[in-house]
Amino acid sequence: MYSSFNRTLYYLILGVIGLPLLTGLLGVVLPSFGYDPALGQVSFHLGHWQQLLQQPEFWSGLRLSLSTGVLATLLSYWFASSLIMVCFEKPWFTRLQSAITPILSIPHASITIGALFLLAPSGWLVRLISPWLSGFERPPNWITVQDPEGVALIIALVIKEMPYLMFAMGAALSQLQPQQTLQAARLLGYERLTAWHFTLLPQLFPLLRLPIFMVLAFNMTVVDVASIIGPNTPSTLAVTLLRWFNDPNLVLRGQASAAALVLASMVAVSILCWLLFYRLLNQLRHHFSTLGTRQSWLRYWTWFGASAAGLTLLMTLLSLLLLPIWAFTKRWRFPDAWPNRWTLDNLNRAGDRLISLTAESFSLAIASAFIGLLMALVLIEFERAKGRSRISVALLFSAVLLPQVTLLFGIQVGLLYFDWSGTWLSVLAVHVLYTLPYIYLTLKAPYLAFEQGYLEQANRLRFTPIRNYLTIKLALLKAPLAAALAIGFAVSMAQYLPTLLAGEGRINTLTTEAVARASSGDRKLVSVLAFAQAILPLICFMLATLIPRYWTRWRLAFRRSLCSN
Amino acid sequence: MLELVDLQIVRQQQPLIAPITASVAAGQILALMGPSGVGKSSLLAYLSGTLTPELEGRGKAVLNGNSLAHLPPEQRHLGLLQQHPLLFPHMTVAENLLFAMPKGGSNQQRYHTAQQHLQDIGLQGLEARLPEQLSGGQQARLALMRTLVAKPAALLLDEPFSKLDKTLRQDMRQLVKDAIEQAHIPAILVTHDEEDAQELASKIIQLQAI
Repeated sequence: MYSSFNRTLYYLILGVIGLPLLTGLLGVVLPSFGYDPALGQVSFHLGHWQQLLQQPEFWSGLRLSLSTGVLATLLSYWFASSLIMVCFEKPWFTRLQSAITPILSIPHASITIGALFLLAPSGWLVRLISPWLSGFERPPNWITVQDPEGVALIIALVIKEMPYLMFAMGAALSQLQPQQTLQAARLLGYERLTAWHFTLLPQLFPLLRLPIFMVLAFNMTVVDVASIIGPNTPSTLAVTLLRWFNDPNLVLRGQASAAALVLASMVAVSILCWLLFYRLLNQLRHHFSTLGTRQSWLRYWTWFGASAAGLTLLMTLLSLLLLPIWAFTKRWRFPDAWPNRWTLDNLNRAGDRLISLTAESFSLAIASAFIGLLMALVLIEFERAKGRSRISVALLFSAVLLPQVTLLFGIQVGLLYFDWSGTWLSVLAVHVLYTLPYIYLTLKAPYLAFEQGYLEQANRLRFTPIRNYLTIKLALLKAPLAAALAIGFAVSMAQYLPTLLAGEGRINTLTTEAVARASSGDRKLVSVLAFAQAILPLICFMLATLIPRYWTRWRLAFRRSLCSN
Repeated sequence: MLELVDLQIVRQQQPLIAPITASVAAGQILALMGPSGVGKSSLLAYLSGTLTPELEGRGKAVLNGNSLAHLPPEQRHLGLLQQHPLLFPHMTVAENLLFAMPKGGSNQQRYHTAQQHLQDIGLQGLEARLPEQLSGGQQARLALMRTLVAKPAALLLDEPFSKLDKTLRQDMRQLVKDAIEQAHIPAILVTHDEEDAQELASKIIQLQAI
């Protein structure tokens, strides 16, 4: 069954992922050293690097990216692991897990816009305590968002990444024997949380490497979240270099390319530091776990983290609630805790624009999810038969871990070269570059766990391999397939930079529009956009859980209704 | 001395077994026998404080004069040995023992003690191995030793030999029997194997399903 056709298809797909990665890297490396044929520069020199190092904005941006990215990651990990440790084995733990899962499908930009309206001096938090507690009749003169140190940015990143890490930990836990391990340690006299720190956490961490690296890389290089709620004089490095890149003064492009390379190296170095740091921590833990101490002070640390995690989840919820509230608000004067008049006018005002943006987002998301799914199926099926997957995993992980700014600058240089920039197809292609890795990662484990015997038996009974593949294997895998599609859809809905750069501003989606207007002051309109952006993947996610569950029942009911007629 | 009074496992208000009353003296083994699925393991889980929330335990257990009810598992001073050895896979053989040994002593002394314990069960020289590098019989002996070095006040044995082959079983039985006499603690053995019970237990209770 695995003919040369399959092999060709497999390597073709690898090429389709590899080529943009290569173009992307070349497209930043060459211009940073002065070679940029599009601008008529064909000699190599270090001028852009010298220029870059003299920019005070570069150094302050670098410092901000590093501090906000690392802190947000550390806090997310600490909070998420603490909450899991404290709540695990509680009867409602699974319900907590399924309650946070939908948050994963909501785009970063939507949550960040909600957080902006929550934390701002005139935001909901201040409104809720005014004037009865704070005495404010008008918004205070504080800087609570876009603050120069990026505290609001860190909060916005944590409220979105913490639920994701909790989800990843839940999935990793199911590969271990958590209950039995904890019981064994507790029966040896260890207090519950101490038992967690010494026995389960060290087993959990190796399984969490990739999710943590993804969060770290994302936090340090994100553009949309940072430009909505992050500092702006100076901004983080990613935002600053996007500005240079789009500057009418084309000379700044070389400098931007050099900065993009610095950003990518910073991610790599941070990942290495994280590994070293963890190795050190593990040594310490091994030392302390052999002393026989039954109660470690680590448990206070965990309690503190879990309380902070509870607050974080509350903020996530409030941020999300604010979107529909503002979207349907007619009048909401400052110190009031609640709008006093509701309306559908905001939707009407957004009107045609909303419909066209939604259509654009939706078509890109659906198309890139299905294309990503098909490609992932080919990759995984070929690898199942061959039993190796090194190259594809390396390529897909680089797509996810390389900073989007770095990669997409280079890709745009390539697109301009071939004159493909600004077309719907090139935007779609770049979306697929990001939906495919997530679809692949989600689908791989359940696909490989499929009991191949069903398919083999089917082929013995009736040798129609392709039909059996569809009606036996894929039909039995419909739940993970639907979940993978929903994830692909959500990933595409969330893309800001790919749409912006590959689309050259000619292709607009809910995301690009919401981010562009986030600081316009028109909270009602921005909320309409952000709410639409959040609700579409949520609906898709719900359908993906409901349809596979009831599919067989519906199919049989449909059959019966046909027969009875 | 471990006393059980009207011990019972209940699922949704339905008792699974007839109530058990017994007392086990130090150095002695009480065997609880019955077909699988009757709730034998659940009884031990109830005693050790790790019963799943779907089940409910009733009755009283008193260990050396102290009631076990309402104590968290870590304060019950019970050792539990199951058919799965549950050695911590990320710790070496020596670290698994050191983890279980009570606090105290210099690092060197502790390590030396651990080495001696390993010698007692024929695992000398394997200190730095990971559990997965041990044979099934070695893992079982290490799990027993790990339970004992924590100095439990009573030992619970949940089908501890059922994964071992015949010759290993014989050896482990002897090892367990000697260990319990030497530690001078009461023990409860749950098994469906007639031979286990005959050779080890001073008293056998047949569990009756209701």
